[in-house]
Amino acid sequence: MKHINLSAPLALLIATQATGQETVVVTQWDQFAQSGISAAGPAMDELIATCQPALNGADVLRTIAPSIGIRDSYRLAVSAGKTPDLAYTWPAASVLSGYARVGALAPLDAYFEQYGWDHVNDFYRGRNSYGGSIYGLPMEQDLMGVYYNKDLFAENGLEVPTTYAEFEAMVETLKDEGIIPVAFGNRDRWPATNTFSLILGLTAGRDLEEHVLFGDEPWTNPAFVQAAQTFQDWAEAGYFPRGFNGVGYDEANALFLSGRAAMTITGTWVLQDMVRGAEFDLGVFMLPPIADDVAPGTMWGEGSQWQLSASATPAVRDAAAAYLNCLVSTESRQVWVQKGHTVPIGTTPEELAAWGADPVVQEFFSGGLATPEANFYDLHTTLPESMTQVLYPELQRLVGGDITADEFTATLQAAWETADANGERWIP
Amino acid sequence: MSTRHAYLFLLPALLLYAAFVVVPTLQVFAYSFFSWDNGIAQDFVGLANYARLGSDRVFWVALGHNAIWVVLTLAFPLLAGLLLAAILADRTPRTIQIVSAIYFIPRTIPLVVAGIIWGWIYNPLFGLLNYGLDIVGLGQLAGAWLAEENTALLSLNVVGAWTFFGFCVVIYLGAIQSIDPSLYEAAEVDGAPWWRKFRDITVPLLNNSTLFLGLYAAIEAMRFFDLIWVTTQGGPGYATEVLTTHVYKTFFLVGDFGYASVLSVILLAIVLSLSAIAFRLLRAK
Repeated sequence: MKHINLSAPLALLIATQATGQETVVVTQWDQFAQSGISAAGPAMDELIATCQPALNGADVLRTIAPSIGIRDSYRLAVSAGKTPDLAYTWPAASVLSGYARVGALAPLDAYFEQYGWDHVNDFYRGRNSYGGSIYGLPMEQDLMGVYYNKDLFAENGLEVPTTYAEFEAMVETLKDEGIIPVAFGNRDRWPATNTFSLILGLTAGRDLEEHVLFGDEPWTNPAFVQAAQTFQDWAEAGYFPRGFNGVGYDEANALFLSGRAAMTITGTWVLQDMVRGAEFDLGVFMLPPIADDVAPGTMWGEGSQWQLSASATPAVRDAAAAYLNCLVSTESRQVWVQKGHTVPIGTTPEELAAWGADPVVQEFFSGGLATPEANFYDLHTTLPESMTQVLYPELQRLVGGDITADEFTATLQAAWETADANGERWIP
Repeated sequence: MSTRHAYLFLLPALLLYAAFVVVPTLQVFAYSFFSWDNGIAQDFVGLANYARLGSDRVFWVALGHNAIWVVLTLAFPLLAGLLLAAILADRTPRTIQIVSAIYFIPRTIPLVVAGIIWGWIYNPLFGLLNYGLDIVGLGQLAGAWLAEENTALLSLNVVGAWTFFGFCVVIYLGAIQSIDPSLYEAAEVDGAPWWRKFRDITVPLLNNSTLFLGLYAAIEAMRFFDLIWVTTQGGPGYATEVLTTHVYKTFFLVGDFGYASVLSVILLAIVLSLSAIAFRLLRAK
C-alpha cells in the first residue's frame, strides 16, 4: 500500500524535538502533571532521577501534555511523522493497533523477553498487541467502582449493596430523602461511556463482550439492549442530577464531594482528588451484577501505556526500554503509589497495604482486583475512534431519552460494521 | 507610483497570502481525494470521499443547524440592533456614547470566554438563569438549557445574539446618524409619529447596512466553532452539531483527514458563495 506524505505542514503544529545533541536524547511525552487526572508528577520527577543511570548516559527531554489532550496530540504527531521516542499516552486496543498498523510504533517483544515484565498479564498484553506483536507497556491500573459517602449512608440507614436489587432499593431510599443518588455529569461526552461500559459488563459479562468485540455477535443482542435499557432507566428514574447531559465531569465530582450526592460511579483515575477532597468518610464498592447469570466484576483498563516510536534509533530504543524497566520495577511501583497516588499494573493489595496507601485506595483495589477472570472492557479505550465518536453522542441521546435502547444498539451495530469494513477493528 | 513599483509593494503580502491561505487551501482540496489511516495518506480514491456526503446523517443535521443559526441571527440581533439604534439615535450624544459602548462590550469578549460565562448561566446545577427563575417564582420554567435537545441550539443562539447585537447597534447607529435630518424634520411637520418615521424613513435608508450585516452574520454563522465547542461539543447527541464541529471531530478525533477535507471544502464553498453574493450585492448598491 502506498504511503504518501501530504502532511508536512502538520509538523509545524507539533512541538519541536531536540536534535543535534552530542549525547543520546530520549524525547518523552507524558501526562504526569501536579494535579487533576494522572497527577503523578512528583513521582515522575523522582523516578527520572532514579532511573537516569539505566539510560546509559542518555538524557530524557520531557514534555508534559494534558491527560485528555495527549490522545489528540499524539495522533497529530503520528500523522506528521514526529512521534516522540517514548510516549505515555492512551488509549490502547484499537487506537494503539491503528498506530502499529501504519508503522508508527516499534514492537516491544524483544524487550518483554529481555526484561520479563511478567506483571503485565495476558489481558493487558492483548490490549497492547497488534498482529501478534506487543507495542505498548501498560502501566496504570484503572478500575471502575462506586465512590460513596459513608456518612450519608449511615444517616439514612443504608449499607453497601451486595445485589443489584439492593442497589435499586438503596437508590429509591436516597431519592425519597431528597438526596441525589448518583453524581453523574456527561457534558464532556466521555463519562457516559465509562458508566455504560460498567453496566454492559455487569449485564452481558466478559464472554459475551468478547463475542461481540472479537467475534460475530451483533451489538443488537438482547444483553446489550438490556444494558442500554438499564442505563436509560437509571436516567429516567432520577438516579442522576437534573440536566446531567449539561453537567461537567468535574462538576459531578464536586457535587459528590460537596455531600449533595450519595455516590459517583467513576474510576481510579480520580482517586487522589477524591481522597483529598472528601470531607466525609469516603468509601468504595463494586456495583453488583445486573443480570442474574453474570459473575461479579468491574471494568479494567490500563489508563495509559508506554510506547516507543518506530522512528527512534536502536540506541534510543534500547536506552528507553532500560529506562522503562526501571520505571516499572517494584521499587518504582512503590514510588508511583506513594508519591504519584497511582497504582501500577501488577501491584497487589498486600503491597498497597505495606506501602501505606490510603485506605480508600486499598479498598478500591482489593475489590477491583479480586475478580480478574470476570473483569471486562472499557469501550472508551477499546473501540476504534470512528466508533467512539458515534458512541459519545448516541449515549447522550440514550440517557437523554431521545432514542430507544434498540435504536441505540442498532446505530452502534451500523458504526461497528463500517469500522470493521475499514479495517479499524482490533483483535488481540 | 509606477505599476511596477506598486506590484513590488504588493508582492510581500501576496506571497504571505499564497503561503498561508492559497497553498493550505489547495492542500486540503488535495487531501480530499485520498483515503487516510491515522492521519497518513494511503490511496488516491477520486471522488469516493465526496460520495459519502449523501449518507452522512451528521453532515445534513449540522448543515441544517447552520441554516437555523443563520435565520435566527438574521431575525433577532439585527432586529434588536435596528430598534435599539433607532431609539438611541434620538438621545443626547453623551447617552448615545455610553449606551452604545455598553451594548458593544459583549462583542469584545472572545467567544470562548462568552461560552464559559453562559455555560455557568445555563448550568443545570448552579446556573444563574434557573436561580433567577426560582427567585421570581418561575421555578417551574427552570431547565437544563444546554442539556436538552429541544433547547440547546436555541440557548446557544441567544449567546451568539448577545455577542452580536451590539455590533449591529453600532453599525446601524452610524448609518442613522448619516441620514439627512431634514427628512425627519419634514415628517414631523407632517405630524408623523415615531414609528412611522422609523418605518418609512429609517428602515428604507438603512438597506445597505442591513445587507452588510445580514451577509456578514450569515458568513459568521457558517464559520463559528468556539462557542459550541466550549459549551456542548455539538451535543447533547447532535443537537448543536454544526459543520465546523463535524470537521473538527472527523479530522482531529477520528483522524479521517480525507473526509474531514471534503467537509472543509464544502464549508469553504458555502462561505465563498455567500461572500461572492455579498460582494456583488454591495457593489451593485
